[in-house]
Amino acid sequence: MQKDEQKDQFEKVMEQHRGILFKVARTYCQNENDRPDLIQEIMIQLWLSFHRYNDRYKITTWIYRISLNVAISFYRKNSIKINDNIPLDEHLSEIAESDKPENEQQLNLLEKFINELKEIDRALMFLYLEERNYREISEILGISESNVSTKVGRIKESLKQKFATIKN
Amino acid sequence: MEDSKLINLWNSYDEKFNDSYMLIQKNVQDISQMKVKSFLSTMKPVKIFTVIVGIIWVGIVGTVVTNLFVFAYSKVSLFFLYSAAIQVLLTAIAIITYLYQLILIYQVDITEPIIKTQETLVRLKTSTLWVTRILFLQLPVWTTFYLSQSMFTDGNILFLIVQVIVTIGFSYCALWLFFNIRYENRHKKWFKLIFNGQEWTPLLKSMELLEQINDYKSPA
Repeated sequence: MQKDEQKDQFEKVMEQHRGILFKVARTYCQNENDRPDLIQEIMIQLWLSFHRYNDRYKITTWIYRISLNVAISFYRKNSIKINDNIPLDEHLSEIAESDKPENEQQLNLLEKFINELKEIDRALMFLYLEERNYREISEILGISESNVSTKVGRIKESLKQKFATIKN
Repeated sequence: MEDSKLINLWNSYDEKFNDSYMLIQKNVQDISQMKVKSFLSTMKPVKIFTVIVGIIWVGIVGTVVTNLFVFAYSKVSLFFLYSAAIQVLLTAIAIITYLYQLILIYQVDITEPIIKTQETLVRLKTSTLWVTRILFLQLPVWTTFYLSQSMFTDGNILFLIVQVIVTIGFSYCALWLFFNIRYENRHKKWFKLIFNGQEWTPLLKSMELLEQINDYKSPA
């Protein structure tokens, strides 16, 4: 494949699935200023692996694998920065919370609860919310479907409890 | 909250990314013209600097020690010669181990499933503990390189007693740390004390991640 042709195809794939990249970045990077760096890092890794894409898997499976692998590693490397930023972000979000419409408030809560999950639980919940079926989630994570089902059930239950606590 | 409500809430994210196309297009342009990064260019400058200083140290001291062994063995203090040789050898082993682990991390295939890729990465990352263990083994030679034979024949007895206690103490510490700096001891107070610094955070994070991975690998 010519480089230009490859570039065009890559651009189409990225345009079509850009939401995945932005949502992964938002899920693993709490500091808004660092998100473009994470998105760029994910895109670099996607580009470097593009010629090796194996169509045995869906293109989304391939994108989720690379994006989440990069994000989890990025999160580990930048955890010092992230930890430094949490108090300020939390404070600001609390002040701004009451001014937002209900849907926005609930979305922020969902984001907050997901951020409180451990890295792999976060990836699992992210894929569940992205409406991936258990088979695809098991292929992306590399665990059995029954394991996916059990873990999703547990995490969902804890999220629901957190929402219920806030409501009460 | 119902499952469908959770998912609808999550889907409302998509509206936020409608005007994100420009960033993607710019990234595609930049990335497609990018040259493939070499292993060296992925390393942080401070790490490159540390490795270079280490290599220069091993090169210079190694050459001096080798020459002393070959040409002046009978003229120099054997305490100095063997202490320096052990120090240089351990530093060389630590640098080689460190570089080997970095190269393996660089070569990990990130298109593999997440549990597999992350397990490989964090196992390699936590194995950098080996470098620390090897470097701690140098402790006793820093208490012996200045000794000479005359200190034992003509020296002060009090000095010799203190010297022996210090060397035995350092040797005990070095061996104890070598055998005990392990992943399994990560929750111990002394471990947290040694690895208490921002530069160790990725390593400690890797250990936490390894716990999660083990949890995911166990049957549901």
